[in-house]
Amino acid sequence: MFLVAVILILQEILEAALLLSVLLAVNQQMGPHLAGTRKLTLHWYAAAIVTGIFGAALFAWAMPTVSEWFDYAGQEVINALMHLVVIGGLYTHCLLLQTNARQTPGPHIGAGVALIVVITLSITREGAEIFLYINGIMGTPTAVTPALLGAGLAGGIGISAGILLYYSLVGFSRVVTLRIGLVLLALFAGNMAAQTILLLTQADWMPYTPQLWDTTGLLTEYSVTGQLLYALIGYEATPSLAQAVSYVAAMLLLASTPLFRQSWR
Amino acid sequence: MRSIRQFLLLGALAVLTLFSFIAALRGYQSSMQEAETLFDTQLLDLSQLVANLDVGRVNNDFRLGNNLAFQVWEQQSLLGASHQAPAIDMTPRVQGFDFANFDGYRWRTYARFDEDQNRWIMVAERTDLRFVLAENVVLETVLPILLGIPVTGLLIWLIVSKGLKPLIQLSADLQQKPAHDLTPLQPRETPRELVPVVNAVNGMIQRLGAALEREKRLSADAAHELRTPIAALKIQLHNLAQEVDAHSDSFQQLEQGVERMGHLVEQLMALYRTSPERFDEACVELDLHALAQEVVARWYPLFDAKQQTLELLGDRCLLRGDPFALETLLANLLSNASKYTPEQGRVQVSVLRNADARVEMVVQDNGPGIAAADANHIFERFYRSEHGSHSVPGCGLGLTIVQHVAELHHAEVSVGPSDFGSGAAFRVVFPLQDPR
Repeated sequence: MFLVAVILILQEILEAALLLSVLLAVNQQMGPHLAGTRKLTLHWYAAAIVTGIFGAALFAWAMPTVSEWFDYAGQEVINALMHLVVIGGLYTHCLLLQTNARQTPGPHIGAGVALIVVITLSITREGAEIFLYINGIMGTPTAVTPALLGAGLAGGIGISAGILLYYSLVGFSRVVTLRIGLVLLALFAGNMAAQTILLLTQADWMPYTPQLWDTTGLLTEYSVTGQLLYALIGYEATPSLAQAVSYVAAMLLLASTPLFRQSWR
Repeated sequence: MRSIRQFLLLGALAVLTLFSFIAALRGYQSSMQEAETLFDTQLLDLSQLVANLDVGRVNNDFRLGNNLAFQVWEQQSLLGASHQAPAIDMTPRVQGFDFANFDGYRWRTYARFDEDQNRWIMVAERTDLRFVLAENVVLETVLPILLGIPVTGLLIWLIVSKGLKPLIQLSADLQQKPAHDLTPLQPRETPRELVPVVNAVNGMIQRLGAALEREKRLSADAAHELRTPIAALKIQLHNLAQEVDAHSDSFQQLEQGVERMGHLVEQLMALYRTSPERFDEACVELDLHALAQEVVARWYPLFDAKQQTLELLGDRCLLRGDPFALETLLANLLSNASKYTPEQGRVQVSVLRNADARVEMVVQDNGPGIAAADANHIFERFYRSEHGSHSVPGCGLGLTIVQHVAELHHAEVSVGPSDFGSGAAFRVVFPLQDPR
């Protein structure tokens, strides 16, 4: 039970922690140093995290009803929809940070709202799974202690990895941080797109496409390294053709923003 | 990096947590494997024990415990079994370990053939119970690691705070150092890493002191060098007035130019004398009303010459300040008032405590007043209004000096309409001071 709790919760926490770290690091390097950009204050992040936690509790509470939607494919479809909104939010955030900051003084509201949407939905999606798992465990008294210990261990690993990624990123020069951070955001968007395809395929909303490769022998997704790579770059041992195509398309979408192009100029 | 303390605390805690938790995870996995081996060895020992049992005396009620089961077969005849054991072979007749499902649970089994007695001995242990037992034992070692993290965090915070103490102390020493104090820093305890910083700051203070000394000498020399030729120029002008037409435009302009030059030198000297470096040592307790009385008496002839009325209102008002600087402040306000107020005009000085018990000095006149466009600029250095003040002699430093002296005393200076219907009122409000 302990190991199951570690793997399940690590999968959820790591993805949200790493996304938050990259967004924080990228925004930290904004401001007068890159033409037409302005950084957002920590209040935006705090608001997004709190909203995300409430959202996760609400989504977990409504899960039995949501699951019955769309011919009992509600959970997959709603999760896929959230993934798509996160990709859109990431694109809007990167776009508005760069383009409109020149014309409007003060913190950029549009970019801030997009940031809140991205973080809130990411935490809602991942957090709901944790709430459901812990709620399920509470019915088995012998499993509670190992599960909570596993949750604590996974939480510690996820948050620590996020903190170290943030400090590693801001330790570089501004240009390098922005380059690495924006590439990671593009990879994250790719990961979201690939997951969307997987969820829609599971919900029978999309046809199965051929599997491109199988690297389970080299690195399974269920190891700690596999989990870390899954959260960071969307590592998948057995991706389908549609997943790969959507992954590349989402990456290109993020790479098309002026902010991304300027950071590589 | 916003905070060194935050970076060190979070960074150290994150590294420690990440590696100790991953180590705990690896430890858990290997300990669970070890526990499996241990349980298998116990099962093997159990099979030996069962082989030595007098199975003829064992009936189906024989209990080893809920988690263990056994069977003893002689060819197809079941000689003895525990109560959970099925009626058929619990595991294939192959020597070694295996898994099997019976009695509603999954079991780890071991089968051996006893050649001496020509019997199959089969023993089994419930996997769920042995997993829970193993996990509980292993988690006992994980729990202290998990609980230790908050304690470790607290200890790291204390260590980081202790380590940063000399840096914080140095920062406080620098902040508390008065503006005129140019003595080197002498921290009580300087760690090796901070010695270059203290040396660099002390070197900078030394260079600053030398630069200020040079500036002081330069100002004194400049004053001497400029005052003497200006005085000589004035004498030459006086002599020239005997030889040429002293009422000619050229002569008048020459005379005004020399006057302006003399005034500019005096104002520049006043600006230097009221520098922050010298302020603290020049500060004394004084009666602002008495000081105003002296200045008004000294400047009275100027007002009298223009037939202007000069009044002084108020009463004794004690405060701490630099008497010379405050005299300069009031002299500049009076000079301005006299210059901009027409002949037979009215100028009033008041030194009072206002409703907030703060000392307030107001100089107001019934002159033309300050144009709205000028109000935001009149305190700037060398600013001269374009609204008809070109005929009034001045260098544009008077109100800058007023503001400078007010700032030194942490006072607020403002300009507004006077109470006389027309004209300007300059108001200097001093902060409340602790009674000494």
